[in-house]
Amino acid sequence: MTTIAATTAAPARRRKLVGAGRRQWIGLLYVAPAVALVTVFFIIPLGMTAWMSLHNWPLMGAHSFIGLDNYWAILRDNRFWNALRFTGYYTVIVTIAIFAVAFPLALFIERPRQLTGFYRTSFFMPAVVGFASASLLWSWLLNVDSGLFSPAAFQLGLTEKKVNLLATFQPAFWSIIAMVVWKVAGFTMIILMTGLQSIPSDLQEAAMIDGAGPFARFRAITLPLMRRTLALALILSVAGSVLAFDQFYIILRGGPRNQTMTAVYWIFNQSFVSFKLGYGAALSMILLVILVALSLVQLWLLRKPEGVD
Amino acid sequence: MKTMIAGLALAASIFALPAMSAETANIWVRADGSNFMPRIVDAFNKGHDNQIKLDIIPNAEIIPKYGAAAAGGTAPDALSLDLIYTPAFSAAGQLEDITDWAKSLPYFASLSPAHVKTGTYKGRIYGLPFSADSSVLIWNKKLFKQAGLDPEKGPANWAEIEADAEKVNALGGDIRGFYFSGNCGGCNIFTFTPLVWASGGDILTEDGSKATLDSPQLRGAIDLYRSMVKKDLVPSGAQTDTGSNFFAAFAAGNIGISPSGAFAIGALNTQYPDVDYGVTFLPGKDGGWSSFAGGDNFVVTKGTTKLAVVKEFLDFAYSLEGQTLLAKYGSLPVRGDIAKDALKDLDPRYQIAAEAMAKGRTPYSVVFNDLINSANGPWNQMVNEVFFGDDVDGAIANAQETMQSIIDQAPQK
Repeated sequence: MTTIAATTAAPARRRKLVGAGRRQWIGLLYVAPAVALVTVFFIIPLGMTAWMSLHNWPLMGAHSFIGLDNYWAILRDNRFWNALRFTGYYTVIVTIAIFAVAFPLALFIERPRQLTGFYRTSFFMPAVVGFASASLLWSWLLNVDSGLFSPAAFQLGLTEKKVNLLATFQPAFWSIIAMVVWKVAGFTMIILMTGLQSIPSDLQEAAMIDGAGPFARFRAITLPLMRRTLALALILSVAGSVLAFDQFYIILRGGPRNQTMTAVYWIFNQSFVSFKLGYGAALSMILLVILVALSLVQLWLLRKPEGVD
Repeated sequence: MKTMIAGLALAASIFALPAMSAETANIWVRADGSNFMPRIVDAFNKGHDNQIKLDIIPNAEIIPKYGAAAAGGTAPDALSLDLIYTPAFSAAGQLEDITDWAKSLPYFASLSPAHVKTGTYKGRIYGLPFSADSSVLIWNKKLFKQAGLDPEKGPANWAEIEADAEKVNALGGDIRGFYFSGNCGGCNIFTFTPLVWASGGDILTEDGSKATLDSPQLRGAIDLYRSMVKKDLVPSGAQTDTGSNFFAAFAAGNIGISPSGAFAIGALNTQYPDVDYGVTFLPGKDGGWSSFAGGDNFVVTKGTTKLAVVKEFLDFAYSLEGQTLLAKYGSLPVRGDIAKDALKDLDPRYQIAAEAMAKGRTPYSVVFNDLINSANGPWNQMVNEVFFGDDVDGAIANAQETMQSIIDQAPQK
């Protein structure tokens, strides 16, 4: 019985290998590098983080399994929730600011005109600078004694004395926002521009013939057709802002007076200043869940409405 | 035949011994030691069969890097570690117990007490002094002379600090009276707390189990700084200086008085020979003085196979030759009995710093990093608030509470 089954099955398999089966294997082969990369650099580290988060895992010395204790501790960790609240505030403000700058820029450079190449390049330029290097540059620009802004304002007679921009919350916070917008808006602009360019111009022309004004065309044609591009730009911007660290670490050190401590900064502090790697891992898992949830909500909000192609 | 082979093997092993004993041990040092450490390692390697391989690690990286290396089994055999971290490292069970060897050293009793104290955990010794740096007050003699002050006499109490700073400040232009790094926990534990100690107060109890910020001495020292900030004797950049300007501000030559460290003597002499400066002790409110005895402890990674090499190296560092080399390139000697000899031919201002070192203090805590050094720790937040903010009492109370809760939550092992 078994031998019969084996003999009948064998040719079938061989036949499959030539057809669909072979295509499947080749397909697997093509995605194998990507799968390997994702496994080595994402799945395994993620698994290790989850595993570490269940331990009391100091930077040095022996670690011990403590179950969910790290997660219970997070519930009582006011400074983490404060950091998270600040991160949320920062994300909302900076995302609005980036779009407020990037959208007009995208509209401006979308159509070919004189010097478009020059404008595109110069708006995009800061995006190729790393966040750490940009932060170092700005921390010099913002320095009260040897920087640019305060001494310049003082020399021009705009202020009575040199104002230390980083000493109090509001100017420090808005300086960071300005820096991030300067650095990121160019990138968002390019994404939005590709979205704008994918809108067929006959739609716009048809609407114009029907007598729609520029604002109505923007609202009824441009925005809906840019849905996917907007979703992409929004998710990139939100994810980047929720994970903000470099600029607050390098320029402000979480100051003035720990008012600009972001969630990632707090995780970094717990892991490498307080040497509590296990706790840092648990915080990271929480942040991951929050980020995934945020992204899902955004995708859902910007999903394709039914019946619209 | 068998015996012959055995004999050959024995002979081979005997002949192989000298070659095998020439080993290389790996040692790490933080960037603060990048001036003197390569010199002393070179000198050691020239005169010994055993060799030392030195790695210099950025200050902020050395702790996490060492932790990661230890977890992966690639830790160096020994490292020169900021002494305030020795309790935390000992508590983590990361270090080799070197009590017996330490106590066998004939000069053990004259090793820097601050280092030995932080190197001792639960009665056992895990770290021995390597390099030393004490906090002192430095003043610019040229500016003192211009301001009509005696350039040879530094301030000896708080009132004199403020009065002198005010006179220098009156010179105007870019010249300011006083400088400190107002957003740097490490800088202020080093240079500000000695003002409190010299007046009889403290910020932690002896064993580090209680925070004691609520004292009239601390409040007094705060008022001194506040008053100088209010009178504009301090450049406005001080408020946000995270320590990057700690030394540079004075070195530029526009600052009258600045609390600093022994390291500044070597650095000023070699890099800024034009600045004419004096060195004195950090005074108490009505005189007296104190100092923060800082520097590095030499610690050995638990389970290293190169213990003999490491000991040989430390022996060399403790010799007169080693101590003189250290002193010449920016560290104070750590052996009290030969400190005078080691400093004999060097700048006489080192003597003040060496004396400050000998009687200096070092707070003891297994959570020093969390409490004090962290840019986001309660100490740093407090110093910034009390020097520049409005609510001094609230800031002190808040810091006291946070520090105590960090101490209470520290792992009890």
